[in-house]
Amino acid sequence: MTKKDKNVSDKIADLKNGVDWFYSDDFKLEEASEKYKELTALAKEIEKDLAEMKNEIKVIEEDFSK
Amino acid sequence: MEPTQVYSVSDFQAVCNQIMETAFSGVVIEGEVASFKVNQGKFVFFDLKDEQSSVGCFMMKFALRFPLEDGMKVRVRAVPKLTNWGKFSLTVQAVMPVGEGSLKKSFELLKKKLTAEGLFAPEKKRPLPDNIIKIGVISSTQAAGYADFCKILNERWGGLKVQVAHTQVQGIIAADQIIKALDYFNERGEVQVIAVIRGGGSADDLAVFNDEALVRAIAASKIPVITGIGHEIDESLCDLAADVVASTPSNAAQMLSRDRREVVATIRGDIKRINILLNTEVDKRISEIRNDVVRVGQDIVVRITTVENEIAAQRRILDQLNPEKVLKRGYALIRGEMAIDNVVEITTSMQEIKAKVIEVKERK
Repeated sequence: MTKKDKNVSDKIADLKNGVDWFYSDDFKLEEASEKYKELTALAKEIEKDLAEMKNEIKVIEEDFSK
Repeated sequence: MEPTQVYSVSDFQAVCNQIMETAFSGVVIEGEVASFKVNQGKFVFFDLKDEQSSVGCFMMKFALRFPLEDGMKVRVRAVPKLTNWGKFSLTVQAVMPVGEGSLKKSFELLKKKLTAEGLFAPEKKRPLPDNIIKIGVISSTQAAGYADFCKILNERWGGLKVQVAHTQVQGIIAADQIIKALDYFNERGEVQVIAVIRGGGSADDLAVFNDEALVRAIAASKIPVITGIGHEIDESLCDLAADVVASTPSNAAQMLSRDRREVVATIRGDIKRINILLNTEVDKRISEIRNDVVRVGQDIVVRITTVENEIAAQRRILDQLNPEKVLKRGYALIRGEMAIDNVVEITTSMQEIKAKVIEVKERK
């Protein structure tokens, strides 16, 4: 899945995984700064997506009175 | 008088029925149940009466969706009929209790029956799916409850695909419409959850949600069902049969969606926390490096001191071996051959002496 294909839930999951890395045994200070920059950018992207997201509410044409 | 048309009895009865069916198609009549009985387990007979009048009613048992007892006030949807024996009766298509007392009685009777069947068993309840995207909604699109549901859903989250089955949500025919909508969603399997929504109303307005067939349809739904019916204090049998119960339509919208404001707050909190963590780690690393530098400096000082001490010790030893020091302790240095009459040179700390050897003998 490319970054463009990801929906906001996928991005939130990515962000959570990224944040978890900071608290894991895999944490390396040498990589942390770059990861922090990436996560900050991802967080901004998620906020933008959340602000722009609209629901699609569609009334079914079927007549249930018949 | 010349008759315009002459009917046979059967034709006349058929024409009467036709006229009544046309004139009273789907007529709804309210009255009190009397002489209720079920014959052969499938034919239901009762009288519908008020203070002045009474009319006989017939219906099939399978069409009876609420438990009935004598004295209960009900509303029936029926077709008037003149029987082959000339008796007028109502062929009941649907019946529904009305009035607080009747509704409560009917509710309790049906609740007892369905509880005994295990329809409301907690182990049958399924949780709402994770990451809900596709929602099926059953409601009247004109109802205030539906508007509340949509408003809250749109405020909280986006990207949801909501299919709405517009049905009546009160009255004698609403239950069948809602059942059809449940079947529609279950047959297609396109939604992850079905929400049955209806705003607040009187006990009569909400009575449809105690319809036995509807309650069974909700319990049998392959897709998890959430109900958001009435207000917090209202409880229907549909609520008991549903997988998840929301107290109101707005509450159902809350339970089906995440709150984007909460998500943003969480994200910002996470970023802030890892920023603090990162700074703490950097400070820690700087502190470790400083400590290392101090330790190395201390090690160097210790090593230099050790070397200096060693040199001082060596110096002290050398000092002890200095001939001048030995002379000062009273010793003398004699140079020359030790033979009688030989002149030797004697050095003391203070003097240089020349002396002649008088005697030489071995020490014992």
